[in-house]
Amino acid sequence: MQTEATLAQSDVSELDLVKRCQAGDTEGFDELVTRYRTRVFGMIYNMVHSEQDAWDLAQDSFLKAWKSIGRFRGQSSFYTWIYRIVMNVTIDWLRKKQIKGGGAEFDDTIQLTQIDPASKTVPKTEPLPHQAMERDEIRARIEKAIAELSPEQRAVILMKEIDDMQYHEIAEALGCSIGTVMSRLFYARKKLQNLLRDVYENV
Amino acid sequence: MKTFEEKWTAWLDGQLSRRELSEFEASLPDKAAAQAEKAEAKKLGELLKRELSAHPLTNEEFFSHQLRERIVQESREPAGVGIRRSWWTIPRLLWAGAASLAVFLIFTFAVMHEQNPAEESQYLTQILNARVDPVVSPNATVSIFEVKQDRVTVLWTEGLQSLPADYAAK
Repeated sequence: MQTEATLAQSDVSELDLVKRCQAGDTEGFDELVTRYRTRVFGMIYNMVHSEQDAWDLAQDSFLKAWKSIGRFRGQSSFYTWIYRIVMNVTIDWLRKKQIKGGGAEFDDTIQLTQIDPASKTVPKTEPLPHQAMERDEIRARIEKAIAELSPEQRAVILMKEIDDMQYHEIAEALGCSIGTVMSRLFYARKKLQNLLRDVYENV
Repeated sequence: MKTFEEKWTAWLDGQLSRRELSEFEASLPDKAAAQAEKAEAKKLGELLKRELSAHPLTNEEFFSHQLRERIVQESREPAGVGIRRSWWTIPRLLWAGAASLAVFLIFTFAVMHEQNPAEESQYLTQILNARVDPVVSPNATVSIFEVKQDRVTVLWTEGLQSLPADYAAK
């Protein structure tokens, strides 16, 4: 978590970057992308469970943000603003995919074929084979459980548990009330607790 | 007024005020079970954070490069390119609509005009009756015309070989 001082500092420079972007400065936007690309990609990946799709959706989200940066008034943080775009793009995509694919989303085979052999994914300290396997299994269980949530519930639980966002920030990012956020969080937790009880009890 | 779900979530996340907390905890039928569930929710949160928070974006620089390329590509395309791609612009649609209406009216007028005879007959009824005895005159025809203006009725006979005697009597 950022301290208040660093938060204030980064907010000032962030606003400055936003102003540069609004004046058409692509380098300023590049700087903003560098700051948020990993978080945005990670959030989308956790929602769609596919590297390729997460990459494309993150690209589309940033492009949309660039096109509409002129409308950003600085009433919320840039982070919340970009998350709103990210969530709109990702939830729309998930809904379309659900309609097309009859609800089935998660696919292990896609995951395995989409790993880039040249990518820097090898950890510095390699876990033992049985540990790696166990971890993969746990991760697969979690992803499968998350895939059973509605797109909105996924968004809420990931923003709360992974990004430590406040209720009002989540509400702003999703364009709904704080009460709705809390209600979705309640049902998402209940469902995940039922699906993953044996995992978190035994880890 | 908060719903139970909202209060429960706020309770789990430690977001209830002191008064709300005491009220909520007093309303719980089984406080021990609730505390156990709170602990479970905490474990779930820790599990999610540990397993999901570190998914890396590989090729970060390529990601930014690709995005820059797309932005440049977008800025090269004129703003109205989406509209210009379509041949059906609004003025063209209006002209096409007006032309279609004009053609329709011309055809309608022509068809209706065709249905009316060019010159109206001066006769109210051209052939009122045609009846001849086939034994007496097999090829004969008799027509009766009534002229409207003059209020005259004309009897026209053709191919009549002889007039039967009893006709004259009538």
